[in-house]
Amino acid sequence: MHSWTQRLLAAATTAALLLAATCAAASALDAFHVPSVEAQAHVTKINQFRKQLNGNDKVTLTFNISAKLESLFTWNTKQVFVFVTAEYENSKNSLNQVSLWDRIIPDKDHANVQVEVKSKYPLIDQGTSLRGKKVQLVLHWHIMPNAGRMMRGKMPLSEFNLPDTYTS
Amino acid sequence: MDWQGQKSAEMLMQVLLVASAVAAFLTGYAMADFQLMLLVYAGGVVLTALVTVPNWPFFNRHPLKWLDTPEADRHPRPQISSTTASTGGKKKTGKNK
Repeated sequence: MHSWTQRLLAAATTAALLLAATCAAASALDAFHVPSVEAQAHVTKINQFRKQLNGNDKVTLTFNISAKLESLFTWNTKQVFVFVTAEYENSKNSLNQVSLWDRIIPDKDHANVQVEVKSKYPLIDQGTSLRGKKVQLVLHWHIMPNAGRMMRGKMPLSEFNLPDTYTS
Repeated sequence: MDWQGQKSAEMLMQVLLVASAVAAFLTGYAMADFQLMLLVYAGGVVLTALVTVPNWPFFNRHPLKWLDTPEADRHPRPQISSTTASTGGKKKTGKNK
């Protein structure tokens, strides 16, 4: 403490330590936050269902999503990544997950999602197991905080059945 | 800066930094604004640096009182004896061999 450089360094070190402690405290408070998400999704149209040249089943579909995601946000939330997956079971795997649509929600003002969309990414099977298959839509979210670890969550939405035959 | 000044500078630094961290966290939480927390804390750190880093006059209110010269002359500094110096030299030459 005898020279000004020593005092400056001591102050900077203590300040950095306390900043880390403050961020840790803010992140710890998030553990007590229980979000209550309300969401629905329904498939409105199967646009195309065919076998690709390489032999894999491919589906493009249209569905509407209604999701109230405001409760995911706390004061320590930077942004939220939401995506909808189609999940089904076949003989090869007990769980297949295919992402159909996603969106980055930057703040609470954009957290009420009401859209009807074509699937952003096609539903492609690794094989030909999709005909007549029962498929579950699941909403997933990844909460990215300002400080702390990323938190994930999901909730099942509606189920739908794919047709027994290819459409084209 | 004298001894008392150094002690109080360190105390002041720690108290001010902890206080600004607590104040920043509370305001950030109350206003639900993470950026506000960082700004309040940055303000607290700058204030702390301004108060404790420069050598302000109030850190120099307890100057050290040195002994007067006649008093110091009565207690001379102990001299290093020549015998210890010579043995030290011998050891050095022995090591170099």
